Amino acid sequence: MSATLTLTKLDVLRVIRNGRYLIFAIAMPAALYLIIGKQSTQADGVDFKAYYMLAMATYGAFAGALMNNSIRIATERKSGWTRQLRLTPLPGWGYVFAKVVTSLATTIPSVLVVFGIGAFLNHVEMPAWKWVVNALVLWIASMTFVSLAVAIGYRFDPETAQPAVMLVFFPMAILGGLWFPLGGTLEKIGKWFPTYQAHKLGTDIISSGKVSATSIVVVLGWGVLFALLAVFSYRSAKEQ
Amino acid sequence: MPRDTRSPDGAVVEFENVSKTFHSPKGPVHAVNHLTMALQPGQTIAFLGPNGAGKSTSLNMLLGLSRPDSGRVALFGGTAADAIKHGMVGAMLQSGGLMSDVTVREQVELWAKLHPRPIPVTEALKRANIADLGDRRVDKLSGGQQQRVQFAMAIIGDSPLIVLDEPTTGMDVENRQAFWATMRERAYEGKTVLFATHYLEEADQFAERVIVINKGRLLADGSAAEIKASAGAKRLSFRLPGVPDAVLHRLPNLVHVERQADIVRLQSSDSDATLYALLDAGYRPAEIEIQALGLEQAFLAITAEDNSVGDTDTATLEAAR
Repeated sequence: MSATLTLTKLDVLRVIRNGRYLIFAIAMPAALYLIIGKQSTQADGVDFKAYYMLAMATYGAFAGALMNNSIRIATERKSGWTRQLRLTPLPGWGYVFAKVVTSLATTIPSVLVVFGIGAFLNHVEMPAWKWVVNALVLWIASMTFVSLAVAIGYRFDPETAQPAVMLVFFPMAILGGLWFPLGGTLEKIGKWFPTYQAHKLGTDIISSGKVSATSIVVVLGWGVLFALLAVFSYRSAKEQ
Repeated sequence: MPRDTRSPDGAVVEFENVSKTFHSPKGPVHAVNHLTMALQPGQTIAFLGPNGAGKSTSLNMLLGLSRPDSGRVALFGGTAADAIKHGMVGAMLQSGGLMSDVTVREQVELWAKLHPRPIPVTEALKRANIADLGDRRVDKLSGGQQQRVQFAMAIIGDSPLIVLDEPTTGMDVENRQAFWATMRERAYEGKTVLFATHYLEEADQFAERVIVINKGRLLADGSAAEIKASAGAKRLSFRLPGVPDAVLHRLPNLVHVERQADIVRLQSSDSDATLYALLDAGYRPAEIEIQALGLEQAFLAITAEDNSVGDTDTATLEAAR
């Protein structure tokens, strides 16, 4: 176990050192929130500054969970790093465990930075427990994309993993209303995505303190689907 | 102690009738074909063969990275997974990757933590001749430098079996010498060192035992000197117009015959006996030259012989041994 934790620590360190993570998962959502978030309108029954804070925190958390790991797993399988690890006493599940924990750890700064901007610069106000619950909900919902990252990493080459991530993530982010609030047909489609529903969980918590069963079922459904895909990709990659 | 769990006859590595076939569009490729061998503790063994001979496939099966289609592979009398779990194996693969975004020291430290009985990181860096590279990023190193990082990883676990696949490819002469000096020390410590190589001089200088494989089969197994002898230790050439082929082929200890106009070139495992027999038969060859074969020529002779006799017949070589 201590060997696995050592690998995990090093994996987290590598993510922090890597510029791509800082840009996509922290700097970009924080900057967008600073630029766009100050409008004094309403959306989804809450102030826009709260709406956009949740949107950018969701975006950053999901991007952090997905982008790093998917490409790293694909690259490290190709480079022979995973083979190299198989020649050590590290248990077979150690590698994926380190990657999953790393993903879960790296979503936290995305949420904290955007929430920090909301609380201290954009004057979003809500009771303390709602801040905590919102952060936890986002963190748990981002597990969906942690699984997707494993699924993509074990299914694609380093060259195709990046486009695969973009093809899945950006439509989900945009149709999920994370970049700007949607209406009409687009919103009707978007409602089926975990991005939309994870975000809606947050706005519902702020506006009424009650969340809908639909949101939970949709996020959970995608979570189960991606987890199954991850297990399937992992297994078929191991058999090669 | 896992260190003492060896099979009854004490072999560190055992291959028993191991076969592995790959399926390509052109039909099945018998990468490893009924290979049987046993490696004893404390030996330094070179694994020699031309490209595509089945070296890497054999090493992959040895390390449990792939499974044989048939036959049995054992490490320390058990499975590769077990031996690896107990830190009994330090390996350096051609296809082995390194981490990105970490320093050399971090990379090697991770390896030390993964193994149960590591030597100090500084010591491993020193032995691999990369003490000065500790703070450099692994992904910014040259190929030869990365090779040495992998080498440090292979020895840091202080494992009783060290497996190296083409370890010195990409190293310059100085580092190659440093590498072999370190490897010699490991051998003195009683470790078993198995290395695949295509540098024949390395096999000649550093291995107590050389295993030659070709087309997935064991062709020769012995000390470098024995291999040379088995290949026809001497090359014998002379001018002898008009000698019938049948006479040449009847000569004793003959491995290989080649004629070019009046010049005859022979390989013989006992050149004296071969030459005396020719003289006894009443021939008087001119311009006699006798030359010892190096391991490289021996190796080429053995594999060329094997390639020319096709898939089933190794009688010539067997007879010569």
